[in-house]
Amino acid sequence: MVWTVFTTHVRRLLHNRVELLLTFVVPVVFFSVFALIFARGVGMTPRVRVAIVDEAATPVSGALSEAFAENPGLRLMPDGDGVGWTRREAERSVRRGGVSMAIVLHEQRGRLAADLLADSSDQVAGQVVEAIVTRGLAMGSLPGRPGGAGLAGASGRRGPAVSGAPAETGRTFPGAPSGRGDVAIAQAGFTDADSLAADVKEDVETAATPRVRVVDVMGDDKANPVISMYAAGIAVMFLLFGATTGGGVLLEEKESHTLERLLSTRLTMDQLLLGKWFYLTAVGIVQVTVMFVWGQAVFGVDLRGHLDGFAMMTLVTASAAAAFGLLLATLCKTRGQLNALAVIVVLTMSALGGSMVPRYVMSPELRQAGLWTFNAWALDGYDKVFWRDLPAAELSPQLGVLAACGFGFLVVARLMAMRWETE
Amino acid sequence: MIVPVAPVLELEDVRKSFGSQAALVGASFSLGPAERLALLGPNGAGKTTLIRCLAGRTRPDAGQIRMLGQAIGSGGVRDFLGVVPQEIAVYSDLTTRENLTVFGRFHGLRGRILRERVRWALGWTGLEPRSSDLVGTFSGGMKRRVNLACGVLHRPKVLLLDEPTVGVDPQSREQIFRMLEELSEAGTAILLTTHHLDEAQTNSDRIVIIDRGAVVASGTFDDLVRETVGGDRVVRLRVDRPLDEAAEPALNRHRGGDDGSAIRRAGDHVLTARIGDVARELPGLIRTVREAGYGVDDVEVRSPSLHHVFLHLTGRQLRD
Repeated sequence: MVWTVFTTHVRRLLHNRVELLLTFVVPVVFFSVFALIFARGVGMTPRVRVAIVDEAATPVSGALSEAFAENPGLRLMPDGDGVGWTRREAERSVRRGGVSMAIVLHEQRGRLAADLLADSSDQVAGQVVEAIVTRGLAMGSLPGRPGGAGLAGASGRRGPAVSGAPAETGRTFPGAPSGRGDVAIAQAGFTDADSLAADVKEDVETAATPRVRVVDVMGDDKANPVISMYAAGIAVMFLLFGATTGGGVLLEEKESHTLERLLSTRLTMDQLLLGKWFYLTAVGIVQVTVMFVWGQAVFGVDLRGHLDGFAMMTLVTASAAAAFGLLLATLCKTRGQLNALAVIVVLTMSALGGSMVPRYVMSPELRQAGLWTFNAWALDGYDKVFWRDLPAAELSPQLGVLAACGFGFLVVARLMAMRWETE
Repeated sequence: MIVPVAPVLELEDVRKSFGSQAALVGASFSLGPAERLALLGPNGAGKTTLIRCLAGRTRPDAGQIRMLGQAIGSGGVRDFLGVVPQEIAVYSDLTTRENLTVFGRFHGLRGRILRERVRWALGWTGLEPRSSDLVGTFSGGMKRRVNLACGVLHRPKVLLLDEPTVGVDPQSREQIFRMLEELSEAGTAILLTTHHLDEAQTNSDRIVIIDRGAVVASGTFDDLVRETVGGDRVVRLRVDRPLDEAAEPALNRHRGGDDGSAIRRAGDHVLTARIGDVARELPGLIRTVREAGYGVDDVEVRSPSLHHVFLHLTGRQLRD
């Protein structure tokens, strides 16, 4: 009897392609996505996008700038031409998300120092650049050790993260995990942690201590950026799940022949789809609003201060998600098919698009791939609103892409639904 | 003088194929005002395709369907048509009143008229006491009544019913047909498909039998019987002792029915015969049996049924 029960279930599983997919394919797909994000199995090592401003304009600062530009952990923006910007230009670029950090080299009481203009929402970048610059300044300021040679030698090496306190640093990251002077080097480009620490210690002991100051250009008065990022990430992911579930009602109506009955009344397919789209959009708006209101009440997300941008982003995101839900529903034949497809598509988009893991930890290739997802555009928009305080006009790319997607999804959904109208 | 009445629904040589599979091969019939018409046919005969064509959900390849003189695809026709699918096609997570209101709105009813029609429907279905209950909590028969009511709120001229009593207990069936009779009396023409031949026989004015995509017979029950199996009754006589061959010459003297057939053995103790006029021929039949030396213990007279007609026309059981 037990054997019969067992074999019955095996046979049922073999007959059910959706269940097979969910059981064996979806986990592998997700493992692969996260492996790509965290293990960098494909593509280049993520590099921190930086701009360099050389206010000191000395041979040493010039050599340091070149060394930073060649460092494999850094990517000079824009397109390797980030040298030559003014401090103001660099700061603006950090604010707009063009670069994660700007390195401003200047002289301070006759010594070479660096201000790191940072976007504290990218906590990895902050620590990586701080470590690289601290070490660069330490080596560059050694008497008889030209900065260029020493740094070039160091930058050619790559290795694991190291901890140490190579130089005096001043940090002002809200919510940052590490404290003052505790530098975690994730992408500094060194092979041997111990040798690096020994080098730096020796440098510090034998030379004047350079100063590295981290300036959070996004402002110290904000809530932890991770909170608003996750509020948006989770909200968008569940918006998509909600929309696909709501879109599935269309398939339920078809399966129960209610759709056929509805279409024999005065109701047309256009009206039906539009009605459902409005409903799903309204539910989505309420869903996201509830999430952010909760975020403000409990975690200090500044919703009241960003109502205009929030309203625009939420309206467009919810309407596009609603259209996406309808599109998925019209692509499927049964509710079971839709459930499987929704799980695969929404989770994959959420993983690649930054709803689960911040996109700044991904390789450039994955970040680029993320732009094909709904989530990435929505999250970039919310990021601009809540973190970067950018004016509404700056949301145009995100609003434009999401609105175009929504319109496209609706049109395709309408075309797909034609098959249900008449045979 | 009888004034000819224009049909509310007319089908003329309707054809429909799905790929190489011909579902309808020239179906033609009509439905008069307030007429109740039962559409019968074995599974796969083309009933569902025909209903879908009538509801405007399937476009015929050829032929014409007109409702009140207008082509079925034209805009205004939907208001004259009520469709009640076989499935419970209402929202089980809405209450009875909410379902009625929603479908009333989809049929274009608004305001006072809508409220009146919903009130009427609740009374008509006998579901007034359950008007605020979710339909998902109802029994099969109650769901069927809601299903039916949602299709007639807008007072359609033609009501299409696909198996309205499937899976319903006898009391609910009876109630549903009482409701349909009320509609018919109020002037709604009803076309229903059913697998219950007795329902078709007793609750329709006319019967259309469809097989392999074509109408094979159409008419009242009496017409169909007369045109197919004839009007003869079948008589079964149970005799008091086993039949033997010696009695056959005496029994063969009887000739009855339209075709003048003889008495036949249908078992050790059972004889069958066909008679046209029960009052006139039955005494003679019993006398013949007695004269052959047998006593008659029991007599059963069977009228021809739709089942016989159906078998005669299609050569198949209804559910084949």
